[in-house]
Amino acid sequence: MRLRLACIAGLLALAQCRPAVPPPRRYLVEIRQMAFVPEALTVAPGDTVVWVNRDFLPHSATSAGWDTKPLLEGKTGQVVVGAPGEVSYHCQFHPTMVGSLTVIQGR
Amino acid sequence: MSRFPLTPLLVLSLFAPAALSAQAAAPDLSDPEVAHVAVTANSIDIDAARFALTRTRNAEVRQFATLMVTDHSAVNAQASALATRLGVTPTDNAVSRSLVNGAATAHRALEGLRGKAFDRAYLDREIGYHQAVLDALDGLLIPTTENADLKALLQQVRPAVAAHLAHAKALRPKLGS
Repeated sequence: MRLRLACIAGLLALAQCRPAVPPPRRYLVEIRQMAFVPEALTVAPGDTVVWVNRDFLPHSATSAGWDTKPLLEGKTGQVVVGAPGEVSYHCQFHPTMVGSLTVIQGR
Repeated sequence: MSRFPLTPLLVLSLFAPAALSAQAAAPDLSDPEVAHVAVTANSIDIDAARFALTRTRNAEVRQFATLMVTDHSAVNAQASALATRLGVTPTDNAVSRSLVNGAATAHRALEGLRGKAFDRAYLDREIGYHQAVLDALDGLLIPTTENADLKALLQQVRPAVAAHLAHAKALRPKLGS
């Protein structure tokens, strides 16, 4: 019994020592004047990035691992960020339009 | 109705950049005439792209030409909507007619080409066209346009023209010389 209580106390102490994980955040990237604004974002796994197209031309945010699909004027697309690392993306229609996500644990 | 000068040879340079060095009197173009010039210039590039789609077998050139049809059609839709909102009817004029004549000459040059020679010539034409349009927007059209809505549309179109130019320049080296 004493041993069990000691274990529980130890586990509770460990839980208190663990750094707090911030809740997921939501980021907005505007597509306007043929550019992603902001062009670069630092995010954490589990965060959501939303792209909104402010241009009258169709755009997309497309990476090797995900794609918002074509976004007409005023439309939005989103992705939930995955594992840490550098993710570059572009517009599938206008390949000179590029952006990046830096995904880090704990932000 | 705002009026602003437009050097006809500068506009003609959309299809013959060498003409930029020529000097000519600057006529006044009314808003309906400017709208017609804008729609004509877009339509000419759409036609060139549609012709390219019948000729090229290169996947990237096809993708570029398809984009030109999509984007310039969208610009024309915006220009038409603006003309309707302003209550103006685009009016044919000497500059528009010169554009059409220049496009016919450019088309004849492309018509006899096939394969990679066609792809290279088409991309060269697109680079020259978009550079000339960009120069005209920056040096003349945007600074001198008085109508706020028309100026705003030209400012919206400018980044798209720059992106098309960068796209064409990035694609051209892949086609060889």
